[in-house]
Amino acid sequence: MLRLSSDQWRVLGSLLVAVGLHLTGTILIPGYSSEFSIRAMLVLASLLAIASIGQTLVVIIGGIDLSIPFLIGFANVVAAQLYGDGVDFVLVCLIVVSLAGLIGALNGAISSILGLHPLIVTLGIGTIVQGSVLLWTGGFPSGSAPGALSEFVSIGGSAGPVPVPWLVPAFVVLAALLAVVLSRTAYGRRLFALGSNPRAAPLALINPVGMWVITFAVSAIFAAITGILLLGFTGSAYGEVGQPYLFQTIAAVVIGGTALVGGRGSYFGTVAGALVLTEINTLLIGLGLQPSLVQAVLGVVIVGLVSFYGRDPHVRTTI
Amino acid sequence: MTDIITPPPPSTRTVLIEVWRRVGFAPVLFILLLAINIAINPARFAPAAWGTLIGLAAPLIGAALASTPAILGGRGGIDISVGPLMGFINAVVVLVLVQRMGVDSPFIIVPVAIGLGMLVGVINGFLATILRIQPIVATLGTYLILIGTTLTILPAPTGTVPDWLRALGGPLSILPLGAVFLVWIGIRRLPYYDHLMAVGSDDRAAYTASIPVTLVRFVSYVITGGFAGVAALMMTALIGSADPSIGPTYTLIAISAVALGGVSLAGGRGRLLGAAIGAIDIFLLQSALTYFNLSTFVLQIAYGAVLVIAIVLTALQDKLLGRARGAR
Repeated sequence: MLRLSSDQWRVLGSLLVAVGLHLTGTILIPGYSSEFSIRAMLVLASLLAIASIGQTLVVIIGGIDLSIPFLIGFANVVAAQLYGDGVDFVLVCLIVVSLAGLIGALNGAISSILGLHPLIVTLGIGTIVQGSVLLWTGGFPSGSAPGALSEFVSIGGSAGPVPVPWLVPAFVVLAALLAVVLSRTAYGRRLFALGSNPRAAPLALINPVGMWVITFAVSAIFAAITGILLLGFTGSAYGEVGQPYLFQTIAAVVIGGTALVGGRGSYFGTVAGALVLTEINTLLIGLGLQPSLVQAVLGVVIVGLVSFYGRDPHVRTTI
Repeated sequence: MTDIITPPPPSTRTVLIEVWRRVGFAPVLFILLLAINIAINPARFAPAAWGTLIGLAAPLIGAALASTPAILGGRGGIDISVGPLMGFINAVVVLVLVQRMGVDSPFIIVPVAIGLGMLVGVINGFLATILRIQPIVATLGTYLILIGTTLTILPAPTGTVPDWLRALGGPLSILPLGAVFLVWIGIRRLPYYDHLMAVGSDDRAAYTASIPVTLVRFVSYVITGGFAGVAALMMTALIGSADPSIGPTYTLIAISAVALGGVSLAGGRGRLLGAAIGAIDIFLLQSALTYFNLSTFVLQIAYGAVLVIAIVLTALQDKLLGRARGAR
């Protein structure tokens, strides 16, 4: 009999919920399991999962990153604008990603050197970033996405013989790489060590400031990548495109069983969480609910799921 | 809390440093911003106009006050549903009570608003402390539920408010603010306040000292909810109608104000007065920036920059004054 740790049970639990939701949708809504619908859900879930990579790492280290939606909007608008001005797209990506990395590094440095709560730091920095982008474009971003990018994320695209756009297999490879990084590299071990005990980790010669800087930079870089991918998905730039991702990334991380107090969790859990969120959204909209009601039900579902398997220990068990 | 202060000869300098230690950076910013505002716009900041200004700032101050108790409880305690809760109560009071049921007596509206707030506080407290869902996730759940419900019953702005409530939007908004402070002063005299600060500082030590940790945190969410009810009334008085889009915008600004006011987001440290001054700082900042007629984009940049600079300065000052307890 396979023995699973409680963390692995959480991942398995959220995967089962995703499958259960999918079966429910298939029974209730005609065409829910049609090829197009499954493709669309895979693309949306991949985008959410990529945006949540950074949130997962940042939460494991014991922080939280509220600048993700702002950086998504930043990358989305700046990439479109630069490409529209005739800059080579590879260069555009490099510029956007490195700028985002610097912004993220700043988030991590301020939070860790001064011991400030990252919630406020990332919120403040994110606000500055968004304001600067809006100022630069005058509130009306222009530009467009290159055809190759649109093809890469298009729901109708296909990766060779497989009827999904290249985004999905690329994401699977990325997720596997990340799992290896988390479980098999020094960085991964340091991340968990620092998250579970911020006082003991420096005694084991882990540099907390360096880890925070790297982790927040990685978070910002994946947010920027999501912003660029979303540009291909929607075809035009929109500064607010990242806003739904503010709470969705946190929800995906938590539904996947990663504890917000740090030191525990896995990226597979977050992927499962992204699948659950995408399934719920599709199911509720498919049932004909108003967007406002979808939001309310989403709230109930998040609380319900987390109370089922994402509860914190009682204080008496932590002594 | 346990600072051992050896009694030195009380020179002016030590007194000043002691004051600085207690209230933090926000009051300095307050005086600075107030001076700038008065200098650039004497008419708007003439003493005669202060009543109107207080009315304008009241909902933000209220939201900051409401956000504080849950944060003081520590271990990630936070209530991000304060903004949507204000929007929800605004919708219920104007749309259901005033418009549909024709009720306009303050003796019904005020208890209903505060009661609704406390009810949602009970739900948040139950989720965060008894079910033990991480507070930011639990209140994210109620955040989404409240926004969704508000938009469903009130898709677009509508309605009017009774005259007495409209009057509270001006100088008289000092009354509900004062009431919140009176309640808090009362709470500070109870053992509950010490329990809350102890739980926020170190919940494990508090538990071993037989403080009912769960109950203390639960009650902090109920207080937060009740204060949010008062904030909702002040917001309703200011906008004079029901508007589903305004409430949720208060959540993040209120938490920023709380942090600016020297309340540790890790719990156990900070004052309600600090949160109020933090909120006034943000209001004065917005007011000064608006005067220059800059685009809202510049406003946003400046707002973020001042927030970051202010919390960085607060942290540096803490280090300089030897109060460098882990803020996280």
